Amino acid sequence: MSGDRGSQTPVLKLVAGGERIDVSTSPPNRDLDWAILMARAQDGDGAAYQRLLQEITPYLRSLAARRHRSADDIEDAVQDILLTIHSIRHTYDPTRPFGPWLATIGERRSIDRLRRRSRHQRRETPLQPEHEAVADVGVDMEGKSNRRELERAISDLPPAQQMAIELLKLKEMSLKDAASASGMSINSLKVNTHRALKNLRKILLGRNEL
Amino acid sequence: MIKTPDLIASLSTNLTPVRRLRPPLMRAFGWLLLAAMVLTLLAVAQGIRPDLAQRLRDPAFASCMAASALTGILAAVAAFLVSLPDRSRLWLMLPLPSLILWLSNIGYQCLADWVSIGPEGIGMGEAARCFATLVLTSLPLSLALLVMLRYAAPLRPTAVTIMGSLAVAAITATALSFFHTMDATVMILMWNIGTAVIFVGFAGTFGRTIFRWVTPRVDAPH
Repeated sequence: MSGDRGSQTPVLKLVAGGERIDVSTSPPNRDLDWAILMARAQDGDGAAYQRLLQEITPYLRSLAARRHRSADDIEDAVQDILLTIHSIRHTYDPTRPFGPWLATIGERRSIDRLRRRSRHQRRETPLQPEHEAVADVGVDMEGKSNRRELERAISDLPPAQQMAIELLKLKEMSLKDAASASGMSINSLKVNTHRALKNLRKILLGRNEL
Repeated sequence: MIKTPDLIASLSTNLTPVRRLRPPLMRAFGWLLLAAMVLTLLAVAQGIRPDLAQRLRDPAFASCMAASALTGILAAVAAFLVSLPDRSRLWLMLPLPSLILWLSNIGYQCLADWVSIGPEGIGMGEAARCFATLVLTSLPLSLALLVMLRYAAPLRPTAVTIMGSLAVAAITATALSFFHTMDATVMILMWNIGTAVIFVGFAGTFGRTIFRWVTPRVDAPH
């Protein structure tokens, strides 16, 4: 116990070796290492403590991953467990196996966190589009009217130019695909697109000026 | 959000040595010693009821007292054991047999006395003294237990609080039957069950918040 700090290692080996069968979640040697590291940490050995926390973090992460889904939640849970371990590290008895002590803290904190989350969620409602107090009317109407105006302008173009704009700009096909779909040559597609854009600019600007 | 490796680094720098907890049985014994001390002081201050020796010969009374005292002791042991993360929750069953014996005896007395005496025998003065005993026993014991088991808050707050409250209630009930003669009236039976129910009920409802004000803050690494 706390009296025989100098001869701690052999004592730990004997006792932890006898009881470690029920530690299903961590291999026996690791459990023994962790017990020794924790015993040193209780005596104020910061380096041993840092090594211990670093080594148990992946295990805690897998423990938390059983209860939580998002990576942020898992990381939050791991940190919560680490802080809890820190605040009650004096409750660990080095003559007993470390695994069950750690596993209970991990389990309890994860479950507690889950409960707290579900309590929060029960009070919250996800924000839906119908919760918007002001409908987003203006922008949408403008978009629609612009679209209609453009469609009308395109329909005023000669058929070859209409086809070129339709395939290359609205459907965003490649020149090669457009050529095989329309039966026009790549060159004439280019020329027609160029002319169509020029005409459209003229039509639309002319209308706006009216 | 702080990164986990940074958190580990900040926790392990300036690590202070901690004193390990003594074995749970020894700590339970310490608390029971305090309870015995409180009861002795009360006995000195208030005086034991005059007919105690005679009443103890009554098997129903004697077994009821023994059962309540035993419930107090076993519940205290269970509370200290369950408060540790590496002990089984099955220890919560420890005080169950004596609890059943205690409660069944109270129930029987309650019925018998209801028929024979009736509630008119209750004097206000006696009731007030009864209440004083109740508070004087349960308050220091509850506070001591709360401080001794504060580290259990992030682990099993509800189970530990219920066990601790049961221990306090059972010992308070024992104290009441030591000091007050009106065990035959409805009043003391109400106290006996009432203390247990109030403590356990409060513990169940506020289990988490009860511990919070004595708990070392978990979210503040130093």
